[in-house]
Amino acid sequence: MPQIPSTDDPQTTFRYPLRWRIMDALNYGLDRFWPARMSPYTGWALIMPALLLVGILVLGLFEMADSSLHTLDRAIFRPSEAYTLENYQAVMESATYGRVVMRSVFAAGLTVFFTLLLALPYAYIMVRTTRSAVRKALLVTLFLPFFIGQVVRAYGLLIILGTNGVANNALGLVGIEPIRLLFNFPAVVFGLVQYMLPFAVLMLAPALTAIPRETETAASSLGANWLQSFRHIVLPMAKPGLIGAGLVVGTLSLTDFAMPAMLGGGSQDFIANAIYDQFFRTADQGLGAALALLLVVLGSVIVGVVIALFGAGTLGMGSKK
Amino acid sequence: MTVQIAAKADATQAAREVAVRASHVSMDFGSGALAVDDASFELEKGRFLTILGPSGSGKTTLLRMIAGFQKQTAGEITINGKAVDAAPPHRRSVGMVFQKLALFPHMTAAENVAFPLKMRRFNPRQIAGRVDQFLDLVKLGGYGDRRINELSGGQQQRVAIARALVFEPDLLLLDEPLAALDVKLREEMQLEFRRIQHELGVTTINVTHDQREALVVSDNVIVMDGGRIQQQADPVALYRAPANPFVAGFLGLSSFVEGTATADGNLKVGDLVVQGTAARRFETGAPVVAAIRAEQIRLAGTREALAACDMTLEGRVCDTIFEGERQMYVVEIGALCGATFRVYHHDPDSFGLFRVGDPVALGWNRRDLKIFSPAA
Repeated sequence: MPQIPSTDDPQTTFRYPLRWRIMDALNYGLDRFWPARMSPYTGWALIMPALLLVGILVLGLFEMADSSLHTLDRAIFRPSEAYTLENYQAVMESATYGRVVMRSVFAAGLTVFFTLLLALPYAYIMVRTTRSAVRKALLVTLFLPFFIGQVVRAYGLLIILGTNGVANNALGLVGIEPIRLLFNFPAVVFGLVQYMLPFAVLMLAPALTAIPRETETAASSLGANWLQSFRHIVLPMAKPGLIGAGLVVGTLSLTDFAMPAMLGGGSQDFIANAIYDQFFRTADQGLGAALALLLVVLGSVIVGVVIALFGAGTLGMGSKK
Repeated sequence: MTVQIAAKADATQAAREVAVRASHVSMDFGSGALAVDDASFELEKGRFLTILGPSGSGKTTLLRMIAGFQKQTAGEITINGKAVDAAPPHRRSVGMVFQKLALFPHMTAAENVAFPLKMRRFNPRQIAGRVDQFLDLVKLGGYGDRRINELSGGQQQRVAIARALVFEPDLLLLDEPLAALDVKLREEMQLEFRRIQHELGVTTINVTHDQREALVVSDNVIVMDGGRIQQQADPVALYRAPANPFVAGFLGLSSFVEGTATADGNLKVGDLVVQGTAARRFETGAPVVAAIRAEQIRLAGTREALAACDMTLEGRVCDTIFEGERQMYVVEIGALCGATFRVYHHDPDSFGLFRVGDPVALGWNRRDLKIFSPAA
């Protein structure tokens, strides 16, 4: 037993460990800087940086809304002085933009469907396996792609799916002529699913962990086979996770840029690609801003509809009655 | 009551029907000691069996093997005469109430109870009526539309019981469902289990570490320790005639004395011979251990006051503990090499009669001091 020195003994030269003294000093400083009577405002103080960031975003949106109301005067290449809705009119009347919007929404929907289809069993096995080696392998496989950026991954897919790529070589071995796997709609969706899978798994895993194993055991003792137990117990109980993952995957896909740009080869543009073109190719800031706001509205409406349908409670936000 | 009498009458018949039979069942998780070690028992139809044991005794593992959640590494289990070892849980006719209930939170009480009927392909037109009937049985009539989180702990217990019984399984298993309840509710639910079991006559196996529950609810008790069945008997026999020191210590409050066997079957501690009874003969001089229950010891100020007892000894009070309806004294007996005895004193007028350090006398009857071979 180490001797605990008495603090009121003047003979002892005992000093508290450095880490304790640093913590004490920090505590003292904090007390001076943020006295106890301020504690009701602590929550607000902590949320301030986040509010500032969102505020800047909102400010940018207003800026964009303003520039979307001016058309580009092509004679002087400057925005018009007068406010006009011409940009929105141009977007609404253009069949090309209609196609782009429909394509984005459709691709996002497909991506959500396939990603959840693949992510659910992955997350389920990861959560339920009793072998820690399997869980670790699944986790490492899941996180590995995170270290590689989206562009690099899309480039990797270009190599794999190219006319002389690995996929076509493999097909050639069984006597199938090379087929064009790239620069079409399925290639973009494939790339998006591949990109979104880790996000979906990471969002589903906690939802599945929250389902007690005993609930499934109970279902089996009550006469449910594995499939019935999955359908009647696991799926409904995982619904909040599925909706949360679906929203994240859906909004990220809807606004994606790199996959359609690289795997679509210019023929499969999403809204983000169209916006990029307006800002950086044709320099029509107004039209670009109008498209951007349209995308914001579209995404917000979809998220709003989903929340209205399933309730914020299913997303773990607030309690439902 | 009529059901109870009928069950007793059945039991006296020569050809008693066996509902569950376990023969030499073992479970090896590969961690050294066997979780369940060569367990064999029989349970007659309609009886209430409790498997009692401390945590880690293998009682839950045994139950899970009967339910089919785990496959034993040796031995055979039959339910109603059929070997079930190859059948997955959902193909066994076994209802189970789980420790954490495992109700389905996304369903109402009625939907929870209807679930096994739907899974087992009951006639859809009969399901609603049957669900109501079983909700009534557990006294939850009218609560069918409540969601699980809108029910109290006791009501959730009742839903879990109804759900496990609604498909009229051959066997009902209870995996310590009362462990988390407070004492009052637990005692109420124990009587409920007893009532429902009598009403339906369903063969039941209950697992618990609560000795009181085992004695209160069961027709038959199995005591387990270290993966082995220590004793199987009805509650009274189990309490009165424990088979070994473990059972004597696990049920009720016993005090132990170590010594050696004498030629005439008594216990010798130092130079003193203490009279007791043994279920079997011991070699003279063999090490033995004796146990006596706290309520079987008489306590008085002098040995003369205990003339009615077979055996009296003088000692000194080491500790007194007030327990409400009784007072417990811990008494050290110098003549028995300082062995201590725990004694219940039930006379409310004389609570606090003796204090720590007071000389007292203990007395007991020969048949109450049980002599065993020492625990392995």
